[in-house]
Amino acid sequence: MHMMTALQRGAWALLLWPYLLTVSIPLDCKEEQGSFSRCPYISQEKLLDRVIQHAELIYRVSEESCSLFEEMFVPFSLQLQRNQAGYACITKAFPIPSSKSEIQQISDKWLLHSVLILVQSWIGPMVYLQTTMDHYDGVPDMLLNKTKWVSEKLISLEQGVVVLLKKMLDEGMITTTYSEQGLFQYEVQPDMLESVMRDYTLLSCFKKDAHKMEVLLKLLKCRQTNNCP
Amino acid sequence: MAVSSSSSSLLLLLLISSLDWLSTPGSASLIDRDQMTSPAPLGPHFTDCISRDQVTFQCWWNPGDFHNLSAPGAVRVFYLKKDSPTSDWKECPEYIHSNRECYFDANHTSIWITYCMQLRSQNNVTYPNDKCFTVENIVRPDPPVSLNWTLLNISPSGLSYDVMVNWESPPSADVRGGWMRLEYQIQYRERNATNWEALEMQQQTQQTIYGLHTGKEYEVHIHCRMPAFKDFGDFSESIFIQVTKVPNKESALTLMLVLVFGVVGFLIVIMLVVISQQHRLMMILFPPVPAPKIKGIDPELLKKGKLDELNFILSGGGMGGLPTYAPDFYQDEPWVEFIEVDADADAGEKEDNQSSDTQRLLALPQPVSHHMNKGCSNAISFPDDDSGRASCYDPDLPDQDTLMLMGTLLPGQPEDEEASFDVAERAPALERSERLLIQTQTGGPQTWVNTDFYAQVSNVMPSGGVVLSPGQQLRIQENTSATEVETQKKGKEPEGSKDTEEKKQKELQFQLLVVDPERSGYTTESNAQQISTPPSSPIPGEGYQSILPQPVEAKPAATAEENQSPYILPDSPQSQFFAPVADYTVVQEVDSQHSLLLNPPPRQSPPPCLPQHPLKALPAMPIGYITPDMLGNLSP
Repeated sequence: MHMMTALQRGAWALLLWPYLLTVSIPLDCKEEQGSFSRCPYISQEKLLDRVIQHAELIYRVSEESCSLFEEMFVPFSLQLQRNQAGYACITKAFPIPSSKSEIQQISDKWLLHSVLILVQSWIGPMVYLQTTMDHYDGVPDMLLNKTKWVSEKLISLEQGVVVLLKKMLDEGMITTTYSEQGLFQYEVQPDMLESVMRDYTLLSCFKKDAHKMEVLLKLLKCRQTNNCP
Repeated sequence: MAVSSSSSSLLLLLLISSLDWLSTPGSASLIDRDQMTSPAPLGPHFTDCISRDQVTFQCWWNPGDFHNLSAPGAVRVFYLKKDSPTSDWKECPEYIHSNRECYFDANHTSIWITYCMQLRSQNNVTYPNDKCFTVENIVRPDPPVSLNWTLLNISPSGLSYDVMVNWESPPSADVRGGWMRLEYQIQYRERNATNWEALEMQQQTQQTIYGLHTGKEYEVHIHCRMPAFKDFGDFSESIFIQVTKVPNKESALTLMLVLVFGVVGFLIVIMLVVISQQHRLMMILFPPVPAPKIKGIDPELLKKGKLDELNFILSGGGMGGLPTYAPDFYQDEPWVEFIEVDADADAGEKEDNQSSDTQRLLALPQPVSHHMNKGCSNAISFPDDDSGRASCYDPDLPDQDTLMLMGTLLPGQPEDEEASFDVAERAPALERSERLLIQTQTGGPQTWVNTDFYAQVSNVMPSGGVVLSPGQQLRIQENTSATEVETQKKGKEPEGSKDTEEKKQKELQFQLLVVDPERSGYTTESNAQQISTPPSSPIPGEGYQSILPQPVEAKPAATAEENQSPYILPDSPQSQFFAPVADYTVVQEVDSQHSLLLNPPPRQSPPPCLPQHPLKALPAMPIGYITPDMLGNLSP
């Protein structure tokens, strides 16, 4: 078992290290006023690229985490039912259009706002996921590291989107809502299976939302470069 | 019983195996696994649902074993879009009955929302096994288009090459707009191989294939998928890559250059070796061609015009090492050839005037000798290195008296115009000498011949016989050395005749090595000349080499008094004078008075006590005549 975990960890580290290198530079330095870190000036385009990169990576890692979790904890019989639980992913009242045509009709502002909302809504649950996962027996370190990494990158992504909003839309400061309770009401579930299924649902929903973020940002980029069909 | 139990166990095994097949983990939403693996009849079910561009999607169904449901419209498709809790089932927006397909256009397609598909019969009987998915999870992009390749480079050996393959994203997928992100995978294989080699997935629209082999044909195709999603789209059409090995002109050119430089370098090395005259290298590379050579004598002397020096050397006056050599290499040579040395300019004269000393002596017709002289004039023979030079031996010609007995070792100019060295084979020479003697004894020719006749005693046999061998060349003088010699002959009965002979042979310089065991001296020509004719000039240094039973005195002058020395005479020649007189005589034995007994070398009967073995092997070799080389074969 430990060999497997070690192998998985190694594989995950191998997979992610180039991304980690690229993402290590902070997105925006303007927030860190008074700090000694040297932040080079970054253009809007580059920032958008960096944000998109973040989104892509987050989606990738979330997909891997979900697969790993499903493989390890979710009984096979319940895997097929995953898609049945389409309702579990409760979106906010702030609807996000889901078809291409609709999305393409959204303005830039709305795109960015949508992304921001998504990111902000998932920061809390990911932290929660980290805590609950520790309770599982034999959870691989790779999975834990992935979830932890996702949490960190979500915060960075949020910062980047905020800056973008400011730059592109000249909007005022938008406070980051970390303490938001989020969409889900979490109670400690005594049943293990329930807990597993809930976490499983959480991961799948996050994966979907990460994909949303990515698509929205890419559409935004397309519009920015005036290269859109 | 057993059979039924075994069949039931088999059925159980089948069920378990089918369940195992079912339990392979995979994407739950995308692959439509038919869960009805039991032998129950298969009802209508969805075979597949695919979206190509994440904008529309289609679903296909199969009526199953119920053939009455295959008619269009017998089965209806319903879907549920879970975008709100209050959504409900709707029927397929667009049927394509020919394909048994339900098509969802862009207006009806939403991503990130779960769809559930359901088949119902005409009377709303729902068939089990719904299919639920989200559209982005069933995306299978179209294959990339415009796949082509360009040659990047070929290895220096011409055996392998690299190829850059490039393509374009499928037009149906909106990659440029950011709607879809694609990653591509190229696979290639050799023409007739079965397994494909897959390269790493990447999102750029070009990739390099390294290490293809020339001469082989490769098949390449490509497919793509959305990153972090599971399903690949279909493969594109294959393209074929082949690079044939081109004969490399550069390599041929370099090979030629290498060859040229190698040859030039080799030639330069040879030149250097030749120029530097490194003796060892020269010996290795250019082994010397044997040239006329005498041991101990400078080859320069062997050329024409240097007879004096040669004579000097050979007589022992040179380095001093030669005297001991002479018998050695005489022993090595089975044949000693006689050289007739005739200056070319004088050849004619000589032959005219002295065509044959013997002839003149014997009053024989000249042309033959003339002939023979000519034939032998240029021959150079030396036991050391000559083996095939022209010899003047012609046993058929009886009139070879001109080729007389003198064994001259070296060619040289005749010291006098009147003198000539005749070279002759020993056998005929001996015969001739015998003849000559006979003839002279019998009152032979009136003419005096200016031939040198001399014999050299080269060795004394243990039995007492003396071995004669051709001695040094000798300057012949036109005087009476022969006569002197003749006068010195003590001989036996033929003395008287010999006197006459001597007189007649006044010009004949016939020298014999006289051995005087007592006196331990020898007579040279000079001595003989001195004895007989004082004015005759001695020829110093031209002493004969002789082997005496007693120490030899080197100075010929000391032996001036050896007039009395016994002469070598053919022993009982008269009895054998019917045979041609040989010029050489063999000392058969030494009698009690230390006088040499000579035996004429008869042709027919070999003298007694002489071993015959070496002589018989040689044709026309005078029997009884021993040459130094045969000494070794003799035994006392």
